[in-house]
Amino acid sequence: MAEQYYFITAAELAQKGQTQIPDELVGNKNLIYSSPATLAFNSPGAQGFGVKRAGLAVPDSVMLLVAPRCCGRNTSALAAPGNLGERFFYLLLDDTDIVTGRHLVRIPDAVKEVCDSLPKPPSAVMICITCVDALLGTDMERVCRKCTERAGVPVEPCYMYALTREGRLPPMVQVRKSVYSLLKPLPKRSDAVNILGFFTALREDCELRFLLRNAGVKVIRELAGCADFNAYLQMAEANFNIVLNQEARYAAADLEKRLGIPSVELTRLYQIDKVRRQYQLFGAAIGAEFDDAKYYDEAALAIETFRQNHGKISFSVGEWLNGDPFELAVALLRYGFEVPEIFGTVGESNFVWVKKIAQLSPDTRISSNLSPTMMLYKDNEVHCDAFIGKDAAYYHPGVPGVNWNTEDQPFGYAGIKALFTGLDEALRAGKEKK
Amino acid sequence: MKGFLKRLSPFAPDNSGVVSALFELGGLIAICDAGGCTGNVCGFDEPRWFTMRSAVFSTGMRDMDAILGRDHLLVNKIVSAQASVKAPFIVLVGTPVPAVIATDFKALRRMTEKRSGVPALTIESTGVNYYDKGASKAYEMLFDTFAIDTLPVEQDAVGIIGATPLDFSTCNAGKYLSGSVEGRGIVYGMGAGLDEVKRASANRMNLVVSPSGIAAAKLLEKRFGTPWKMDVPWFPEELLALLPPLAGKRVLIIHQHIAACALREKLLACHAADVSVGTFFMTEKSLLQSQDFSFKEVDDPAIAVREFNADVVIADRNFKKVLSGFNGEFIDFPHFAVSGRVLEEQ
Repeated sequence: MAEQYYFITAAELAQKGQTQIPDELVGNKNLIYSSPATLAFNSPGAQGFGVKRAGLAVPDSVMLLVAPRCCGRNTSALAAPGNLGERFFYLLLDDTDIVTGRHLVRIPDAVKEVCDSLPKPPSAVMICITCVDALLGTDMERVCRKCTERAGVPVEPCYMYALTREGRLPPMVQVRKSVYSLLKPLPKRSDAVNILGFFTALREDCELRFLLRNAGVKVIRELAGCADFNAYLQMAEANFNIVLNQEARYAAADLEKRLGIPSVELTRLYQIDKVRRQYQLFGAAIGAEFDDAKYYDEAALAIETFRQNHGKISFSVGEWLNGDPFELAVALLRYGFEVPEIFGTVGESNFVWVKKIAQLSPDTRISSNLSPTMMLYKDNEVHCDAFIGKDAAYYHPGVPGVNWNTEDQPFGYAGIKALFTGLDEALRAGKEKK
Repeated sequence: MKGFLKRLSPFAPDNSGVVSALFELGGLIAICDAGGCTGNVCGFDEPRWFTMRSAVFSTGMRDMDAILGRDHLLVNKIVSAQASVKAPFIVLVGTPVPAVIATDFKALRRMTEKRSGVPALTIESTGVNYYDKGASKAYEMLFDTFAIDTLPVEQDAVGIIGATPLDFSTCNAGKYLSGSVEGRGIVYGMGAGLDEVKRASANRMNLVVSPSGIAAAKLLEKRFGTPWKMDVPWFPEELLALLPPLAGKRVLIIHQHIAACALREKLLACHAADVSVGTFFMTEKSLLQSQDFSFKEVDDPAIAVREFNADVVIADRNFKKVLSGFNGEFIDFPHFAVSGRVLEEQ
């Protein structure tokens, strides 16, 4: 009988190995606790950047949600941030629809009604479908073709199939393919690249743009930076794509297949030496030499300044943040800080960092936010001086720190610099309060 | 077109109503979904989620669970979580996925009770109906299961059934309603817990404050002879202050039916010329008047305003979006089940 929340130390987990991760850390082996710490990533449609909001990343598009009412309920909350409320439409299913699939014949008329209700036709109608159609086996590609014939605008499916979350193509992977699927072949431009992976833009001060420009790249496009649909269509002229989030690999592969645009993948890292090494490898791959000394020095200075100001402090690291919590924890440990606990999802992609943590800090506790036992986690049960991540903030009320989940995406040296600058400000404010 | 919505987002569904009715009662609530429904319930429809811990979980169904109907795995997960939570009862809440695959909830209930050793309630919500239908089923099953013993009647005890944040748009509704009745107001699910549910037979009377409480009140009347009536004894002061100047006006109120009808009485007492009530949610026949409306589609409120020739509309401000032709006075009366807005945000 569990008396407290479940955790395993990094040393114990590393010893078990990647093939024997305890069930308590595996989401689909337990009931899932959707605590306020998890809402951004535990539901394809809940807070944060779920499928619905992501599907509207195509400029001037609108979305028709075809689903039971419960699937569209939280959309009211999306109305505020980017005035998205005006871009959502709904075709709500009743008891008979969800069993017989009779709603499918109404979708083309609903798309026509959406288009007719707008002052000018949308660039595209994204049709968001949910678990019901996953179970009915709906051929949404075919339905979308019918919709295009009926309404005269491009219509694309967005699959919000929460049932397939641990499958080969989970919803956030599928939707990344959907948002680039409207691109059509264009003549290639050797000095143009796309950055794929995020639905919002990279931080303005991110050195990646400057390094690319110095290497001769003149046009760098991101989905979030496309002012209108025509700008979006120009993404098809890119010489290559840079993938900054592995969930965009499938989309990049599709673009390579359809438009002949190859891709290269970079990882968001917080270990400064690994960032440098990655840029060296990237430069070699594209035949350029990046002079990153200035950016490296700025990030190194931010780390050192923070260390001098605050000493060897301890961090609680969560997963509702822009980064991998385990890689971030390794970075913090290597910079000389302590990490007594990490909340995260352990898997193939990050187990290498678990092993590293086991060497540097074997007693670090690793927990799954989704475990039902997290109900038993008492506020500040594990002592830390600061938190990183919105979920970690939930477990540590009153402790200073940064949510680190802003919409402008940190990457590279600029990300490291911003993280430590933000932490410095938060800790100073926290100390002043005390 | 039937079911087509523009300008408004969908209202709270029945699975949210179930959770809202049972949230504070200490049970282990397992929403039979893949994660999205629970995200909507906890992240949006349950404002108490951010200030109060409750054992609400998603069963985390995956495609193969649904296709193969692996109920034993679901029960394993529930029993494992119960070992940590040690809840006095377990609730299984339906969503569209179990509705599509025709989950046998009765079997699930038996399996869960047998393995866990505590009572289980199974509520077959589908995610396609409104919140009040789910809350109604939840209250009825709750009292049917736990209000068993016949106790001596306590003359000061007034049971209040049907109060949820979805209806009253505040997490403090229990406190407000309890303080607005003569005697000891026992607000089930908002202040009063499972022990009070078990003692429901001791109530002198029950007060039903939303249509979702009617079925439970009828059950308690049948089982214990407890009389009941419908009324809402508390409204926000800010709203009440706006009523006297409406003397002589024709007013349309859009809200849950019992609240709207109670407000109608207050308006008529302020000499409003005539008052009509409209609702998308459950209606109680005995409260309906000839000029009242039951809405089905998003254009219906605008039709009602025209037909009733309303000077004033009192409704959640989200409804303004579908009343584009209305030039009269609009008074905001938040309804969380419509807009997800609490009174404190006004």
